Amino acid sequence: MAEYLPIFTMLVLATLFAGLSFFGSAMLGPKKPTRAKEAPYECGIVPRSEPAERFPVRFYLVAMIFVIFDIEIIFLYPWAVIFRQLDLFGLVEMIVFALAVFVSFVYLISNGALDWGPVKRMRPAATAPSRTSDSTVRRIGRAEEAA
Amino acid sequence: MNGLPMNGLPMNGLLVAQAGQPEGLAPLELPNVEYSAMAPHLILIGGALVLLVWVAMVRRRPPWAWAAFTVAVGLASLGASWLMWLDVGRNGPRTAVADAVVVDGYSIFFMVLVSVIVVLGALMGESFLKREDIRGPEFYVLMLLSSSGAMFMASANDLVITFLGLEILSIALYVLAGLDNRRMESREAAIKYFVLGAFSSAVFLYGVALVYGATGSTNLGEIVGYLQSSVAPANGVLLAGVALLLVGFGFKVAAVPFHTWTPDVYQGAPSPVTGFMAAGAKAAGFAGLLRVFFATFDTLKLDWQPIVWVLAVATLLVGSVLAIVQEDIKRVLAYSSISHAGFVLIGLQAANEKGLAGSLYYLLTYAFMVLGSFTVVTLVGRKGDARHDLDAYRGLSARRPALALAFTVLLLAQAGIPFTTGFLAKFYVISAAVEGRSYSLALIGMLSSVVAAFFYLRITVLMYMSTDEEEAEEARTEPLAIPRSMAVVLAVSVAFTVAFGLLPAPVIDFARDATLLI
Amino acid sequence: MEGFSILTAMVLVPVIGAAVVALIPRSREDVIKAVGLAAAVLVGVASISLAFAFDANSAEYQFVSEASWIEEFGVSWLLGVDGISLFLVVLTGILFPIALVGTDPHRDVKGYTAWMLLLEAGCLGSFLALDLFVFFLFFELTLLPMYFIIGGWGYEKRVYASLKFFLFTLFGSAFMLVGMVALVFLSAKGTAPLTFDIRELAERGALAEDTARWVFLAFTMAFAVKVPLFPFHTWLPDAHTQAPTAGSVILAGVLLKLGTYGLVRFGLSLFPKAAVDLAPVLLTLAVVGIIYGAVCATMQKDLKRLVAYSSVAHLGFIVLGTFALTTQGLSGGVLQMVNHGLSTGALFLLVGMIYERRHTREIAELHGLQRSMPVMAVMFTVVMFSSIGLPGLNGFVGEFLILIGSFVTRRWWAVVGTAGVILAALYLLWAYQRVFHGTPEGENATLTDMTLRERAVMAPLLFLIVFLGVYPQPVLDRINPSVERLVRHVEEKGGYEQPAVAVNGAEGVREERQKKEVEEGQAKQQESERKLAEFKEAEDKAREKARSGGQ
Repeated sequence: MAEYLPIFTMLVLATLFAGLSFFGSAMLGPKKPTRAKEAPYECGIVPRSEPAERFPVRFYLVAMIFVIFDIEIIFLYPWAVIFRQLDLFGLVEMIVFALAVFVSFVYLISNGALDWGPVKRMRPAATAPSRTSDSTVRRIGRAEEAA
Repeated sequence: MNGLPMNGLPMNGLLVAQAGQPEGLAPLELPNVEYSAMAPHLILIGGALVLLVWVAMVRRRPPWAWAAFTVAVGLASLGASWLMWLDVGRNGPRTAVADAVVVDGYSIFFMVLVSVIVVLGALMGESFLKREDIRGPEFYVLMLLSSSGAMFMASANDLVITFLGLEILSIALYVLAGLDNRRMESREAAIKYFVLGAFSSAVFLYGVALVYGATGSTNLGEIVGYLQSSVAPANGVLLAGVALLLVGFGFKVAAVPFHTWTPDVYQGAPSPVTGFMAAGAKAAGFAGLLRVFFATFDTLKLDWQPIVWVLAVATLLVGSVLAIVQEDIKRVLAYSSISHAGFVLIGLQAANEKGLAGSLYYLLTYAFMVLGSFTVVTLVGRKGDARHDLDAYRGLSARRPALALAFTVLLLAQAGIPFTTGFLAKFYVISAAVEGRSYSLALIGMLSSVVAAFFYLRITVLMYMSTDEEEAEEARTEPLAIPRSMAVVLAVSVAFTVAFGLLPAPVIDFARDATLLI
Repeated sequence: MEGFSILTAMVLVPVIGAAVVALIPRSREDVIKAVGLAAAVLVGVASISLAFAFDANSAEYQFVSEASWIEEFGVSWLLGVDGISLFLVVLTGILFPIALVGTDPHRDVKGYTAWMLLLEAGCLGSFLALDLFVFFLFFELTLLPMYFIIGGWGYEKRVYASLKFFLFTLFGSAFMLVGMVALVFLSAKGTAPLTFDIRELAERGALAEDTARWVFLAFTMAFAVKVPLFPFHTWLPDAHTQAPTAGSVILAGVLLKLGTYGLVRFGLSLFPKAAVDLAPVLLTLAVVGIIYGAVCATMQKDLKRLVAYSSVAHLGFIVLGTFALTTQGLSGGVLQMVNHGLSTGALFLLVGMIYERRHTREIAELHGLQRSMPVMAVMFTVVMFSSIGLPGLNGFVGEFLILIGSFVTRRWWAVVGTAGVILAALYLLWAYQRVFHGTPEGENATLTDMTLRERAVMAPLLFLIVFLGVYPQPVLDRINPSVERLVRHVEEKGGYEQPAVAVNGAEGVREERQKKEVEEGQAKQQESERKLAEFKEAEDKAREKARSGGQ
């Protein structure tokens, strides 16, 4: 067990540090809340409306696709380094792997993952028809008028 | 340790020719990848990929064709499993791919089971997807991938492969749980399942790390070798590792106290997915659990048996008692699946050959019962997959006598009524427990099944003994269609449950022969 | 299994009947009824012919049919009948057609008939099984049809009653299953294979004494709920009261017997020592049940509930006779099982007929029915006296045998139990007086008497009640050899001996006395011979001494 001692020491120290920091800042820090301080984005500008919470899921999709190819590269690179040693075996395995990734990519493309034009839906809208972007704009508009 | 490929000794792999190699690099010893040892797994994965390409390339997208294709893939993997079964029967069990994968009766048993679940699951899904207007082949693709993960868990001979199988299984299931993303509950289920599942995977992985630290290997065969050669193998690190493995598996099979995700996820996930989860994911979790504990940590039996005893008792009692107070059929079945997990744990706790065979038999028969049950739940859920309150079953026998009868048979089989496979499954694990001298556990199991009988009967009461005229009127105005594919699933599961309850020998022999562990 | 086995056929015919009924369209009620009745009558005829074909001189199981079933567990399809089960089979065979003809389900004839036939198969299977596993399967299987019959065709609180019935019995069976498995696995020591054959298990008797006691208790738990013995009886009044007439008839007539039959067949033969040791406990519960059932019956306002409580008392008698562990007590118990089936079955039928007319079971609502329904009154009187145990009717024979059988070995229990007979007279006669005497008013005055069909239904039961009361010998002749064999088995394995008077009555005592006299005579003779030898020896020694002294 002796070789695990540093880890446990580290664990204890980390816990202590985190706990003390929280405790210390809560105890020592002055608290004078004002309206401006409590408002979001303390940049000196009073926000006029709630910030947009969502932005198109398409960005995430692109990011995910990027990650997938990243991982493919992670596998491809070492393979390239010892390509000769792996010989035919490595080639076959890598083709299988690349094929699987490629097929998924084809599927993504066909599903419109990279289409940036008007939405071609695989299925009906997830939200109720009453909640279109128009209706949302109108709703916000009403809320602002009320305010 | 001495089996690691980097030590330069040719084990069972190919020694690559060294001609023209750069200086300073030792020759690599490459594993011999025997694809035939993983034929059913690869058929499922291949099927999933073909389905993806098909959907991408072909304009016309008849959903029934995808279902038919999935069924064909399932049958193909069933056939491949069967060929392997015959081969193992002739030539005995073996390991493959540098000892990482094992081909024995046990793994093939699960290949057969998972293949059957794929076939029935695809049939169940087809009409559900049509009814709910969920387009796209994702259901089938994810189910095929998830099933291949289940097979890997069963045939893994290395904790790393077990973990890989676990992840392949789980990640696909997380997405499946959220498939019906128009329903808030479905999304909630996906998130909940994902967070807790990822957490349990981490725990499992930590357990693997500790076991590796204690024994020097993740290969199950080598761990056994280490445990047998060392004088006092049980030390703190190893036991902590084993305990964490148990926790990780416990999450997957929904053993109390690691069950908290079950009711919410079962309730929220689309009904056919829940059926697949209850049959397939549970079987896969147990496939890993039983192999690791029966075959590998057998010598530590005296250490883990008491823990499993406590787990089994808690699982049995919590599952059956909490099911009573549920008002939602899917939650009832979720808690009942927890209590069934408790019964399988009884077989594990017995830690004898009968216990293993009993657990396998239990999983096989439970798969059919629960798939059939969720088929009924899917049907009664109607469009929107929302009518899952128990009241939806009121007077079902008057509207759909055959459906009510089928559900009754499946529920009573789960309650353990004689002349069904459900009774024999309980009998099998109970007899294993008695043989292992765990009388108290056997008794607790049976008493919990009495408690469980109450809520199964409660549903039959609703179906048969409510003669409310108003309900009957409502029933007439709200027709309940039974698509043909669903009818097939129901017929198969009921026929299996009853026929092999009357003539149990073939299935019992199958389960017994599957205990040929390597 | 070679050729045709009548016992297997008797179990299968109702099942096939039920399957056929299930396939007939719901609207063809007449066809359904005909098929159901045909199957039940076929079984009834088979059971009666079985009684005639039965070899009265043999104590062994007869008509045994055997087929391997689940080899992994050593389970085989093993059916057979002996004197103990024979008349229970006949009772089942007779009561089912009567219940089917004599009652009207009012709704969903199809489901009702199918469940009844399945119930019959379950009952017959339980009585005929010689394999513990098969017995357990059928024992549990009977729950299901009964549950659906009570729940589907019963009265106001039927759902509660049916659930209570099911769960209570299942609770008991849970213990039995574990006990059964423990028994079988512990009996399979060394090279002996797993077997559920009760003949083999009884012979092996491989359990240690305290283990056997636990397993016996586990079995008893299941049977005690089914009988029902005193603290486990609470399901019975509810189930009986809420069940439709046929359900009550079968429940009282046949299903309760599964409990007492199980105690005799499995409790005594598999765990003789434990049964001997724990008999006082069971006897006490039985006697408490007799008195408690009788007292409760006296206080009931509901006619059906009254009959239900009387069942608790009557089955207490059967358990008393069983655990007296004498030949007379045991054969009285077995006979009383049949008697109770007949008389209580008939009582439930009559109460059901009254309900059909008046739509009430309240004793207070019924009055003066003797005027409006004279035939009913006569039949009720006969059946009631049978239930009370009036000499000349069947109830007397059984109760008398039980009481003398238990008086020999368990005097005080028998004495308390006898009080139950008096209480039975009290509650039944009082109920009769309230329901049938006096001048009828209102609806009670305009009731129609029993129809021809109803009389025809009651006729065989009345015939048997009188026949068994007057001439029980043919029945006892068939029961006794098996009972004697069972008691001998208990004596051998249980380290216990029943008093001779219980075997052959006065003759037995005389025989024993003669035997004793002979033994005493022999002992005396030996003693005198010994003394003579001693005397001679002393003489010889003295002579020797004298001779040596003389030298």
